[in-house]
Amino acid sequence: MKTVINKWKLPAVMLGPFLILIFLFFFVPVILTGILAFTNMDSAMNWEFNRLLNFEKLFSDPDISLILRNTLLYVLFTLCINVFFGLTLALLTTYFMKKEQFSLLFRTIWMLPRMTPPVIYALLWIWFFDPSEYGLLNGIRSLFGLPPVNIIGTEPMLIIILANGVIGASFGMIIFSSAIKSIPEDLFYAANIDGAPHWSIIKDIIMPAIRWPFMFVTLWQLLSLLTSYEYILLITNGGPLNESEVLALYSYHKAFQSFEFGYGAAISLVLVVIALVCTLILWKLFKVKDMIGPSRID
Amino acid sequence: METAGKSVPTIPGNTFLYQLKRKLPYIISYGILAVTTLPVIFMYLWLIIQSFASNMKYGLIPEGFSLENWEFLWTNIVYKGAELPSIWTATWNSLFFAGMLTVLEVLIGVMAGYALSRLTFPGREQILKITMILHAFPSIALLIATFYILNFMSLYDSLFGVVLVKTALQIPMTTWIIKGFFDDVSWDLEWAGLIDGCSRIKVWFRIVLPQVKPGIASVSIFSFLSGWSEFLLLYTFIVSNENVTLASFLQRLTSDPNMVNYGVLSAISLFYLIPVLVFFIFTQKSLMKANVGGVKKV
Amino acid sequence: MKVELQNITKSFDKKTNTIDNMNLTIEDGEFVALLGPSGCGKTTTMLMIAGIYKPNEGAIYFDGEKVNDLEPKDREIGMVFQSYALYPHMTVLNNIAFPLKQQKVPKKERLERAKEAAEMVQLGHLLNRKPSELSGGQQQRVALARAIVKRPKLLLLDEPMSNLDASLRIEMRAEISRLQKKLGITTILITHDQEEAMTLADRIALMKDGRIVQFDTPMNLYNEPDNVYVAKFIGTPPMNLVEGKIMYNKLQIDKQTYPMDKSRFHLEHGKEVILGMRPYDIQLGWTEEIRFLGKIELLESIGHSKIIHANVFGKRLQLFAKQDFQAEIGAEVRFSVQPAAIHLFDKKTGKSLRKAAPYGDEMFVKDAALQ
Repeated sequence: MKTVINKWKLPAVMLGPFLILIFLFFFVPVILTGILAFTNMDSAMNWEFNRLLNFEKLFSDPDISLILRNTLLYVLFTLCINVFFGLTLALLTTYFMKKEQFSLLFRTIWMLPRMTPPVIYALLWIWFFDPSEYGLLNGIRSLFGLPPVNIIGTEPMLIIILANGVIGASFGMIIFSSAIKSIPEDLFYAANIDGAPHWSIIKDIIMPAIRWPFMFVTLWQLLSLLTSYEYILLITNGGPLNESEVLALYSYHKAFQSFEFGYGAAISLVLVVIALVCTLILWKLFKVKDMIGPSRID
Repeated sequence: METAGKSVPTIPGNTFLYQLKRKLPYIISYGILAVTTLPVIFMYLWLIIQSFASNMKYGLIPEGFSLENWEFLWTNIVYKGAELPSIWTATWNSLFFAGMLTVLEVLIGVMAGYALSRLTFPGREQILKITMILHAFPSIALLIATFYILNFMSLYDSLFGVVLVKTALQIPMTTWIIKGFFDDVSWDLEWAGLIDGCSRIKVWFRIVLPQVKPGIASVSIFSFLSGWSEFLLLYTFIVSNENVTLASFLQRLTSDPNMVNYGVLSAISLFYLIPVLVFFIFTQKSLMKANVGGVKKV
Repeated sequence: MKVELQNITKSFDKKTNTIDNMNLTIEDGEFVALLGPSGCGKTTTMLMIAGIYKPNEGAIYFDGEKVNDLEPKDREIGMVFQSYALYPHMTVLNNIAFPLKQQKVPKKERLERAKEAAEMVQLGHLLNRKPSELSGGQQQRVALARAIVKRPKLLLLDEPMSNLDASLRIEMRAEISRLQKKLGITTILITHDQEEAMTLADRIALMKDGRIVQFDTPMNLYNEPDNVYVAKFIGTPPMNLVEGKIMYNKLQIDKQTYPMDKSRFHLEHGKEVILGMRPYDIQLGWTEEIRFLGKIELLESIGHSKIIHANVFGKRLQLFAKQDFQAEIGAEVRFSVQPAAIHLFDKKTGKSLRKAAPYGDEMFVKDAALQ
């Protein structure tokens, strides 16, 4: 009996805090979101169940078609930039660039936006497209005698797609670069000797090697784009007039601006369900049984 | 015999066109990189120039040097008729937040990572699976429920409460990465420690932990930076002035379109960016590795 | 210290047994080698003796005391790992002193004893280096010193020389042998190298698929293999094996018959058997009683002699010839062997038909017969 307790004691102590945190801030919130979605809780924090009312409201929401359209545009285009621009950067810095210092320098620069606090990063974009002559774009335009333009006001979706695209591209860049680098050098030498042109090396050697990282980055980014709204909140805050509002941000606004916690939770629940499906696909595709090997001390 | 010595076979390498054709892909790739990277460099350059300039022409060319923009360091900024809290309060809070986060995250992550990597106990596989699923889980969609929990625990508007939330959100990923470090330590080493007279816990502390020190260091830096950069959680769960952090401080000034003073904003941004830049420059290489190491395993 | 394993069974996946009902007794002061191909359960056995793995069934006794539930640190053992498992963040001296530190030996004595152990393996001049600054052979010596510094009652060596090059290996072999004799310590060596086992061990336990096939002295293993598996595993080049059938006290292979010594073997009419002959026992020319005629397929020179690969009955047999032996490929070659030098095994069970042979285990050889 004593040995049984001893066998349990160590794992319990080591995992205790981890499990408590996960329980408190993952499991309880998931369940709570599921319950809150069926109430009309507001700032008074009262539990009043209203059955499916929130979901009916969601489907009849006058803004919902615009928001769904925005979400779709945002996720689709940002994902494209993430994956393809990330891939381009990785190819340029690992395959075409022969000098290691140069490619490291470029990759470092592209890592900067990712490491920069979101508030500063957003500020940089706001400044870049500032409607007054203080912004970089309008400053340059005034050099040529062109009138200032307000792109954040007229094309908010473009800005948030670009801003998020750059951040995500560096993620793709890192994953792809390390995948390309793990291709044995000999393969490239052999291809060179065989006289393969660049596009053929890319197509036949590099692409097959990064097939899985490619899938991984795509799914992973899809997942995080669906539910992330930090940069949108900071740059346009969904405006003007919901022009750049996406579903995740809408849920946030409903909850923390209009204090319709129940309604916000209902929108979140929709997102959580979509995200869970994505996660499961990710999990199925990248099944890694061997990483869960057993302990080797009894 | 008759043509020997006369017919010089054309070596294609001698023609200018051939050389150009050979180098073209490289020239193009450097070109693309330079053009796309330039705006990024400009943005960060502008931050530095703007903060020390008294006035900017065309948004980018400074006119005169001044330290006026840095006055926030010794006088409190007046904003919308009210005096904002001192920058040092915000700095201290940011440091506290990031520091607390680092300590908690690393401590819990190291313990749980070791347990998951090396110990046998019932439910280990399930916990591993959950950890993997969670680290792709869109925790940000659970903000509303998290708000309810914090409120319930009287931790709303408390920095420590937000530290707990942030730790919880990051712990699956951190634990997974640290588990990877432990996986790389050879079992022989641990067995040798046991035979040489250590208990299991002592082996962990004396033998295994020193082997993963570099990994732990980069995880610490990573988590400090993510704490330092955090915006959304603090923006959502912190309301009082005395708990303001640099992120919220800067965001409040940025969000008012009528009162944008890029001079002050860039100076504060730069001030806020210092730790990031320092860490970034010194640990750039290992950060890249930690980044990749964590995700590569998926 | 006397080590006994009684009916030890170990399984990792509940389906197959890695170690299957193993029995082994090692006398005090004895040097025993666990020999076998990779994956046969050698290391698992050793880790169970060390206490890192716990057997699912059976008992382990140290000097008659059951130690199943004793933690590794309390077993008074020293171990050298295949990878040496030196602590990379400690100096050589600290590595060696580490086990003593765990025993709370006072610092002064600890360092003295560590230095003494280092001297014993000729490492006295490298005490302040880190393991990464040492060569493979030096690392190995550190591991050895660390294993013996606490004066263990049992020394475990897990393939200690597999990471060394050939010349160092021979040097370390002598070193280990010397130390073991000097300290008189019970020692278990794991190896897949039969030469290493033969030269070092007092007795060898030859393992296959989680069982001990034969546990005996090196000479007995070589001269009197209990079954085909042992015969094939021990000796280089391996024993020549030819299938045949017993016909009234004689051995029939193809159309040929050969006289067999009835006093040495159980000869049962009609039994299918395997004839074994060590390459060293085969003589060129028909000088002995059992004679063969073969065709030369290959002639290899190994310096002091040549190896002839000859085809007889469609089987390729190996035998030795003098250094200056000359012949064409395809030429006929005559060779013979003494009746006293041959081995005979039951084809079905693989068991030796030798009269003095103990009752052997039958299961090994179903597949091992002639692969």
